[in-house]
Amino acid sequence: MAERLKPVDVVTVGVGLTGAIMGKELAAAGLKVVGLERGPARDTVPDFQSPTIHDELRFAVRKALMQDNVKETVTVRNSVDQTALPMRRWIGFLPGTGLGGAAVHWNGQTYRFQPSDFIYRTHLEQRYGKSFIDPELTVRDWGVTYDELEPHYDRFEYLCGTSGKAGNIKGQIRPGGNPFEGFRSREYPTPPMKEPYYGALFRKGAESLGYHPFPQPASTLSQPYTNPEGLTLQQCVFCGFCERFACEHFAKASPQTIVLPVALKNPNYELRTNCQVLRVNLDSTGKKATGVTYVDAGGREFEQPADIVLITAYALNNVRLLLNSGIGRQYDPRTGEGAVGRNYAYQTVSGVSVFYDSDVNINPFMASGSSGTVIDDFSGDNFDHGPHGFIGGAYVGAIMTNGRPIEFHPTPPGTPAWGLGWKQAVARHYNHTVALTVHGSSHPSRGNYLDLDPTYKDAWGLPLLRMTFEFPDNDIRMSSYVTEKTVEIGRIMGGRIVAGAPRKKPYTTTVYQTTHNTGGAIMGDDPTTSVVNRYLQCWDASNVFVVGASAFAHNASYNPTDTVGALTYWALDAIKNKYLKSPGPLVQT
Amino acid sequence: MSQFVQPNSVAATAIVVALCLTAPGHVLAQSSTRQPDAKRGAVIAAQGTAQVPACAQCHAFSGASDSSGTFPRIAGQSAYYLAKQMHDYTSSARANPIMSPISKALSADEIADVSAYYASVDSQFPPLATADAAIVEKGKQLARVGDAARAVQGCNNCHGPDGAGATPAIPYLAGQYAQYISSQLQMWKRGFRNTSPESMAPIAKQLDDQQIAAIAAYYQQVRGQQEVPDATDASAAKR
Repeated sequence: MAERLKPVDVVTVGVGLTGAIMGKELAAAGLKVVGLERGPARDTVPDFQSPTIHDELRFAVRKALMQDNVKETVTVRNSVDQTALPMRRWIGFLPGTGLGGAAVHWNGQTYRFQPSDFIYRTHLEQRYGKSFIDPELTVRDWGVTYDELEPHYDRFEYLCGTSGKAGNIKGQIRPGGNPFEGFRSREYPTPPMKEPYYGALFRKGAESLGYHPFPQPASTLSQPYTNPEGLTLQQCVFCGFCERFACEHFAKASPQTIVLPVALKNPNYELRTNCQVLRVNLDSTGKKATGVTYVDAGGREFEQPADIVLITAYALNNVRLLLNSGIGRQYDPRTGEGAVGRNYAYQTVSGVSVFYDSDVNINPFMASGSSGTVIDDFSGDNFDHGPHGFIGGAYVGAIMTNGRPIEFHPTPPGTPAWGLGWKQAVARHYNHTVALTVHGSSHPSRGNYLDLDPTYKDAWGLPLLRMTFEFPDNDIRMSSYVTEKTVEIGRIMGGRIVAGAPRKKPYTTTVYQTTHNTGGAIMGDDPTTSVVNRYLQCWDASNVFVVGASAFAHNASYNPTDTVGALTYWALDAIKNKYLKSPGPLVQT
Repeated sequence: MSQFVQPNSVAATAIVVALCLTAPGHVLAQSSTRQPDAKRGAVIAAQGTAQVPACAQCHAFSGASDSSGTFPRIAGQSAYYLAKQMHDYTSSARANPIMSPISKALSADEIADVSAYYASVDSQFPPLATADAAIVEKGKQLARVGDAARAVQGCNNCHGPDGAGATPAIPYLAGQYAQYISSQLQMWKRGFRNTSPESMAPIAKQLDDQQIAAIAAYYQQVRGQQEVPDATDASAAKR
């Protein structure tokens, strides 16, 4: 029997990026906040210090910072006629766990979505006509606009200290920045990171083809910076151990470096680690949450009553918690009805390898998670899709994150997969290869969705989340087009061999692509086809907010974190200025 | 939102690809022309030049300097790092009344040569009195994991395991004189040293004088102490 604890005002399920920001902010507003984190507590000092943290085998190969999939994982299939099987080892994507969540092991790539992304269907139908969008795709407007989110993007970037060069300040196009981007109210908080050699090679090549290269926006900082919370970050030293690792230098924006210390100093805020939330409890009407039930590290079950429940876990786990709590109606791909699990999207990533002569030394090991140079010419709707027959796009860039010995082994096509020939090829190409990334949008389609697995359960006996996903044909066409354009850039960069690998079906979890899982608890204007309203408030339980990439109606060409941060501050603004004054639905149905 | 007009990319690409075939390698220049001459550097170290006194006067021909710690140990420090310091003395990014005139009077080639010489020297460590074990232990803690309360990372993150250095850019601290390490951290802290200002100055400013002394004491005894007969375990053998 669960022990019932003293009620609090707010409980956050998860203390990662969104949970830490919301917990800090609401505690500062005078509310009693409890942050429940399923993983352990950890901090820059002493947990992230070298040489321990620079252990490629432990962290990159064995994924020591990731969700423990012996206890909890995801089952995956490509279509409804298959039987989903559990991912017993994380390879394709890497959900984090522990204090700070995935924002501890992220790369720091900090992109805004395009203004058109938020009014996606309206925009596309206006530009290309109503019949242009493949009917398989369930793209839609988000219910919020870029202009509404801009101040919150700005606030999140200034929290992180993001390093970059603005291309559009209040409508004025700035040289050196991204000329395609939506307006910014001001310059980035810190200047761009130093350009690595691979970035310079890409910039020259892209410029010579008439494209518009700019430094990748990075929350691995170019210089020391003190954020509005009074926390100081340090300069990134290009150690090459960023993604899949934690930063030992206070140089990467993570909850530990940008917000958590402030929350932890506030007596209104209480952090409880190693606490696994099993469900959100509802009252007898089923329309209001009474709190959450969790299990601590000793296996004891607790009920934590709370006036407001903030579901701030990883996108996939947000959806699973809703389903295991009986909040919202499950989406059914056969009828197209229901909301929870709908519009699951991923990211359509491909690559181009540029192999140079051995007198061109790339030194890939001098890298940060987000250094490098990119172009936005083929992202989203930055180019005319009329002749192409697909929607969406990809940013393209030389954004190498590491040259680590176990996993960085570039070899040209035709190289033997093992043995002497392979070893010779690795030695020949290791320091003379630039990997270009094609980071593409992912569109929701009717058949792609999330629900509960009928067979497999977690360590606490609760059903696992089941993912049904295959790349839509639209996204495969996009990948093919932009990858081919990227091969052209690779050739002009002077590569001796240029090998492009556009994304192909089937989707498989046995090749790392990205951890950008989005949707499943999407925002929108219609309670029958969205889970949360434009303020990320549950249609079905007005004191529950579901915060994170689970709210994305589709996944744009960019890394999701900046938009997650912006939506977090957007929702906070509504909670503080609207909900607390008058609790109840913020949007009437 | 602005919409950019795509250049006629097919045609443009065709032209540039054609150019590329005739002149392969659209690659930025990255070659150095002259190889440094360590033998010539040794002569400068021993004798100086017409305008410059011998380096050996302060740093010893062995690069071990003297045990006062007024002058740093430079033996085996990377040539890149040594040359960079000389150029920083020239530009006054690192101002020093003794070193700045010397570096200004040396040519770039002479700096390269003398840096190559001292980088190649493997000299002995003089026996030194070690600090109190508690201070060394405190320094070791800071060096390895830093200080959570002050948001300072461990020195070894950049300076390598127990301060072995990360060549070529980051100098070794292992066996460096405590007096020198401590004076340099104070220089950064007070704004007199402006080399690597973005990495070292914010760190030095977070440290108090006791912590600086502890870090310095720790690194000094990491190397060289094994030559003291009864000090088999450097961290435990303090009496």
